[in-house]
Amino acid sequence: MAESISRWAEDLSPISAFDWSADRAAHLLERAGFGGTPEDIARLAAMSPQTAVATLVDYHAIANDHLTPFERSDVWDPSLRDFPVSRVAATERAEKTGEAMGVRIKPAGERRLQPVVDRFFYWLRATVLETRRLAHWWADRMVATNRPLQEKMALFWHGHFATGEEKIRDYRKMEQQLALFHRHAIGSFRELLVDVARGPAMLAYLDAAQNVKGAPNENFAREVMELFTMGVGHYSERDIREAARAFTGWIDDDLAFRLDADKHDDGQKSFLGRTGNFDGVDILTSILEQKVTAEFIAGKLYRFFVREELSEPLQARLGAILRDNNYEIAPLLRTLFLSRDFYSAPSFGTRVKGPIELIVSTYRKLGVKRLPGIPDLNVVSRELGQILLNPPTVAGWAQGRTWITPGLLLARGNFARDVLFPDIINFTDPNFNPGREVRRVNDRILAGMEIAVATIEDGPGEGGGMGGMEGGEKTMANVIASAEDFNTRYGSLVGWQEAVQRVKPIPRAAAQFDLAAMVLGAGAKTTSDAIDHLLMRLLRVPVDAEVRRILIELLERKLGTGDLSLAATYLERPLRLMAHLIMSSPQYQLC
Amino acid sequence: MRRTSRLGGIARRELLRAGFGSLVLGASGNFERSPFWAQASAAEPAQDGRILVVVELSGGNDGLNTVVPYGDDAYYNARPRIGIREERLRKLDQHFGFQSTMSGFERLYKDGHLAIVHGVGYDQPSFSHFASMAYWQTAAPNRGELYGWLGRAADAMDPQGHANYIVNIDTQQSLAVRSRGHVPLVFDDPQKFTRSGFAEETAALKAIAGMGQAENDAQDFMFSVSRSALDAEQLVRDAWAKYRTPVDYGLVRFGLERVAALIAADFPTRIYYVAYRNNAFDTHVYQSDVHARLWTYTSDHIAAFIKDVARLGRGKDVVLMAFSEFGRRVKENTSRGTDHGTAGPAFVIGAPVFGGQYGKVPSLSDLDDGNLKYTTDYRRIYATLAGTWMGHRDTEVLLRGNFEPLPLLDA
Repeated sequence: MAESISRWAEDLSPISAFDWSADRAAHLLERAGFGGTPEDIARLAAMSPQTAVATLVDYHAIANDHLTPFERSDVWDPSLRDFPVSRVAATERAEKTGEAMGVRIKPAGERRLQPVVDRFFYWLRATVLETRRLAHWWADRMVATNRPLQEKMALFWHGHFATGEEKIRDYRKMEQQLALFHRHAIGSFRELLVDVARGPAMLAYLDAAQNVKGAPNENFAREVMELFTMGVGHYSERDIREAARAFTGWIDDDLAFRLDADKHDDGQKSFLGRTGNFDGVDILTSILEQKVTAEFIAGKLYRFFVREELSEPLQARLGAILRDNNYEIAPLLRTLFLSRDFYSAPSFGTRVKGPIELIVSTYRKLGVKRLPGIPDLNVVSRELGQILLNPPTVAGWAQGRTWITPGLLLARGNFARDVLFPDIINFTDPNFNPGREVRRVNDRILAGMEIAVATIEDGPGEGGGMGGMEGGEKTMANVIASAEDFNTRYGSLVGWQEAVQRVKPIPRAAAQFDLAAMVLGAGAKTTSDAIDHLLMRLLRVPVDAEVRRILIELLERKLGTGDLSLAATYLERPLRLMAHLIMSSPQYQLC
Repeated sequence: MRRTSRLGGIARRELLRAGFGSLVLGASGNFERSPFWAQASAAEPAQDGRILVVVELSGGNDGLNTVVPYGDDAYYNARPRIGIREERLRKLDQHFGFQSTMSGFERLYKDGHLAIVHGVGYDQPSFSHFASMAYWQTAAPNRGELYGWLGRAADAMDPQGHANYIVNIDTQQSLAVRSRGHVPLVFDDPQKFTRSGFAEETAALKAIAGMGQAENDAQDFMFSVSRSALDAEQLVRDAWAKYRTPVDYGLVRFGLERVAALIAADFPTRIYYVAYRNNAFDTHVYQSDVHARLWTYTSDHIAAFIKDVARLGRGKDVVLMAFSEFGRRVKENTSRGTDHGTAGPAFVIGAPVFGGQYGKVPSLSDLDDGNLKYTTDYRRIYATLAGTWMGHRDTEVLLRGNFEPLPLLDA
């Protein structure tokens, strides 16, 4: 098959019903969604390719009422508006005005600023914890949705317009931006771009508040061109400076966009060869008029959904499709998913699954309907290298081969084991774990120590094993801590306690699924049948005959027979062992 | 490019023991020749080899508030609010001082083990983190390059691609170490760098991880990494478990303690790459406190590492270089921070280094649109490290140009 379809590469004409197969339906579901069960695949395979693709792309017609909106914890109140950019800014504000974040300075006594510092750390912790809940809620949607393409595109846009809670420090802004990704997922890139650019998450992430008339901050102006629309090499440093002037005065007013006329530079600007009294939206409009913008976006979508390599002529054709459709994403995706190129040999089984895709598709392949709380989504995805709502930088995730290193491959196998053999005995809720530093201070305070003594860092260098510290050499960090007139470490502890009390817990249960029922239900009679079913269910890239033989041999040894009917009453655990082995294979990482 | 994967030593032995003998015999071919397959134990031990450690400070470090030119009024004029006053500095001479939190660096400097290279940058600088970092990581400014400079250096110095020649402490592989013939060992938490398996599946796990017929480049890549993981995990975990140190690595241990653990275990690694991550040095807003703290951590951590390798008796074999993708504008911004700039200082540190100051000091008044004019191309530092220190024979090819090494090391 591989040989006969290699000539399909770069051919955008639609695949015919004659060429449609279960294999190709499975490929479509992996790429346009997060894979599925053999039943899901069979349903798509029974349709025409056009209908199968429409089932994914025209998702507005598909009921999704079982999904529930994100349920916020009661952690925010209006006194947290305009949250200080740093602890220093918080205490400076309090010293200047007598209060900050709704907390007054003590009139007299020790550590007069301590309540302010406590409050500062409270919100830092609360928004981190709430962001984890939001990430859990989103990943749960990916597992549960009937519209997988919508979630896949939201994930794509999140990586494209990458912003992170770590800098923004307000989960509500992330939640608001995520809603944009869901709403515009396959809609107009034009509308999405403008809404994201004016969204409080982006404004906060790329320092809009610092971009003012007379002293422009170029952060957003640069990234909007380099990363969000055109790519490097299609504009000058001068274009960046001029665009930054046009964006001056754009402010995030809590959860709203506001134009601060006093800070907006309404003079003439020269941008991409034109001169005028441009504002920010004018700049975005000019950018969208560039041919290269449509090509950049279309090319990035292609690399995400199809494959890494993309010839310039093909990219130009894809860009033209996007432009001809006035930047509507759906028509381009429909063309891609129907194209022979999408099903050609170089597109097949060559995509490295991203960590979130791996996690979500693992559950979907097992027929699990809701995201389990064990293992913890955020812990697992951090270990695999993709933390939802906290991409590494504004460039998002590098995708492709960078998802994989020796260590990450092992971590992927470990995730599979956590799903198949959840270790509930050793499970503790990671959201209740404040980290070494806070825990140490907490232990000492509970033991009755003075704050000043309890918060001195005198621990051993934990770097490397458990060796104790010789001599009394202090790091600079300690010198600074003891010189402060309020205690940040104590504030960190108090803030943590307060936050964790108020944030709603994530339900903790392991995934419920029954591999034995799946295998027997598929009509498997022998250990070979069972292994073949699991391989078919889990893999898009086949394993060697030798690996198959090893699996059959091991399963037979575990069952004490090759006949499943004799082993039906104790089949589950050995099958889970087999699934763990298959999911640990390099093949499982590809789709 | 197409390879049939073979089993490595550890996996072979386990499979034999577990009764999969026929498989092992069937697969025992020319695995020694496959670069990804070379055993760590077969590689030359680094005992006599020199080691290069590169530390990336991501985000664009504010060089002027790191090595502070307190002797120049232009500095205080440009930075009325965030300029660091003379009395708060750790003075190096009549002109420069480290900011006060850098006691670790001060000690190294005074001991003659720290070289400051002034004004490091390149022509037509990019102000984008990603572009400029990529230029540093590939040694190819203003152009695209698929492989990293350290990856290419490794390919040239070790064409056989011995296992674990490059180690990258991170959750993801850096472009700097991306190589044609090496699979860098990348890990973050050594205790998690392990495949959990039940005893009953251990042998099969290894067989599955080590086998695969690559049909295309993506699969070839995946199978190569899988095989490299097979052997490396045990070695790293053992090294970490055995490692004990009395040295305090500071509050943010961004990876050098893990490097020391591998050095202590005599890893064959010659290139280590460690990053202070997440664009931490990108100090646009209220930077004074943040920047001081960043340098507390960085200076404590690096000084601890140098002390630790000396304790291990390997001080003379280790040279560390710390850099950032760019410096920052000379003038402070309106939010008590600094915006993306151009040149900045880089640091070369270790017992073999002739401490002191190198490179012409850039002027604070003769600026290019508010930015420092670089005086030393960063590839001169690379030429020093790859050529003089590591013995790379043809740095002109590596760096695509002739860059004169700095005299801060002996060959």
